[in-house]
Amino acid sequence: MSDKDKGVGFLDKIRTWARVNSPWALHYNSGSCNGCDIEILATLTPRYDVERFGIKLQGSPRHADVLICTGPVTMQSRDRLRRIYEQMPEPKFVVVVGSCGISGGVFQGCYNVLGGIEKVIPVDMYIPGCPPKPEAIIFGIVQLLEALKTGRKPEAVAVIPEPQFENKA
Amino acid sequence: MTLNLNPLIVLLIFPGGLFLIMAGLAYEYLDRKLVARFQNRIGPRWFQPLADLLKLLSKEEITPLGVQRGLFYLLPLFALASALTAALYVPMAGLLPAYAFQGDLIVTIYLLSVLTLSMGLAGACTVDRFALVGATRTLTQLFSYEAPFMLALLGPAIAAQTWQIRSINEYASQNLWLLIAQPIGFLVALVGLMGKLELPPFDAPEAETEIVAGALTEYSGRGLALFRLSKDIELVIGLTLVAAFYLGGIHSPLDFLVKTVGLLLVVALLQTLFARLRIDQVVGLWWRIGTILAVIQLIAIVLGRYVGNLIF
Ligand code: SF4
Repeated sequence: MSDKDKGVGFLDKIRTWARVNSPWALHYNSGSCNGCDIEILATLTPRYDVERFGIKLQGSPRHADVLICTGPVTMQSRDRLRRIYEQMPEPKFVVVVGSCGISGGVFQGCYNVLGGIEKVIPVDMYIPGCPPKPEAIIFGIVQLLEALKTGRKPEAVAVIPEPQFENKA
Repeated sequence: MTLNLNPLIVLLIFPGGLFLIMAGLAYEYLDRKLVARFQNRIGPRWFQPLADLLKLLSKEEITPLGVQRGLFYLLPLFALASALTAALYVPMAGLLPAYAFQGDLIVTIYLLSVLTLSMGLAGACTVDRFALVGATRTLTQLFSYEAPFMLALLGPAIAAQTWQIRSINEYASQNLWLLIAQPIGFLVALVGLMGKLELPPFDAPEAETEIVAGALTEYSGRGLALFRLSKDIELVIGLTLVAAFYLGGIHSPLDFLVKTVGLLLVVALLQTLFARLRIDQVVGLWWRIGTILAVIQLIAIVLGRYVGNLIF
């Protein structure tokens, strides 16, 4: 490795560090029932305080790094979703929250629904649930950041809930 | 030929460039952390502003359609340069100002306004409607708080009978704290500073619930980073100015730290305490109450001096 490469490697390290520690998010609802959006708003409240991880909700796509999408893509919102994605500066990541965004969920097969977010824009991370808890959303985003740190694709994580009731058959 | 390194050091390391950037980031962190604690949150980590800055610097910079390219790229530089220049005349960190001349108070006040002006222009030179509304609000707000803020800074200047920040600083430390002698002026100056920095409750120009991000909506990457940085620097300079004028002057680094952080505590408290004002309420507040209070204070000072001269 030459000296120049080392310099570039060092700069890259700083860049990745800054990126991992300051993900600014943008939230877009492309046709969800609003359940997921309420959970996202709950995630942003002081109780969960995502500013601990440097996550900040931004109003403008131009300022955002992570696009948080909820809901299935309807025909109406397809172009808007694509436009918002294109307005974001590189590097950008997409996180899908909720079953509807993953597959279309309960809206699968409706006359006006295209299906999951991945039909329109590339997705980096899926957070399942209907709707996922704020803890799950934070967990998902932290997984994305961990993956960014090492440069891998995020892997599927199975989270099995503790059984709450004895199943007396 | 002897190479004089002093101006270079003054410009690039202290009190210019490096020191100011570090101080700006530190004060932004403190501000965010304090607000978070007031809201019962844990708040950001200590390196957060630095990470934000580096990330923005390394991001793609998009040139939106329809902007005037030259202005679009130059305005952030103007903003940063003027903020950095203003620091040269202010007693940063309790040391003597790097440069001083009669009337540098006026120059500093102007330099501090250039940031707001460039933000307004930056919004106005894009075709985005949110940026345009933001720009209009930014400039409207500029016209409303600038007069009272300036009047509030004139009070100490008249009391000290000089237009030089350094001499006012000395005068303030030799006399009773001007906070006690001119309480109204202090209040107007502090709240004016918050208006200048577009902190809540004066954040109508960048109200993200209505107009996305105000004048800076179309900026991404480097431009946004420079604007944010200049705002942080202006926060430090503004706090230093108010502390030097009203809190009995700044004479040692410890003095500087205690007084500016104390002021920041008050500013953060006010930020959490009040909800955002509408733009017409802001203008009304400043012209109906702020300016009149500042003028009353000014008249009181002038009369006080006059009567004092008659007696002694
Ligand atoms: S996943 Fe559930 S809560 Fe979320 S949008 Fe779909 S139906 Fe609503």
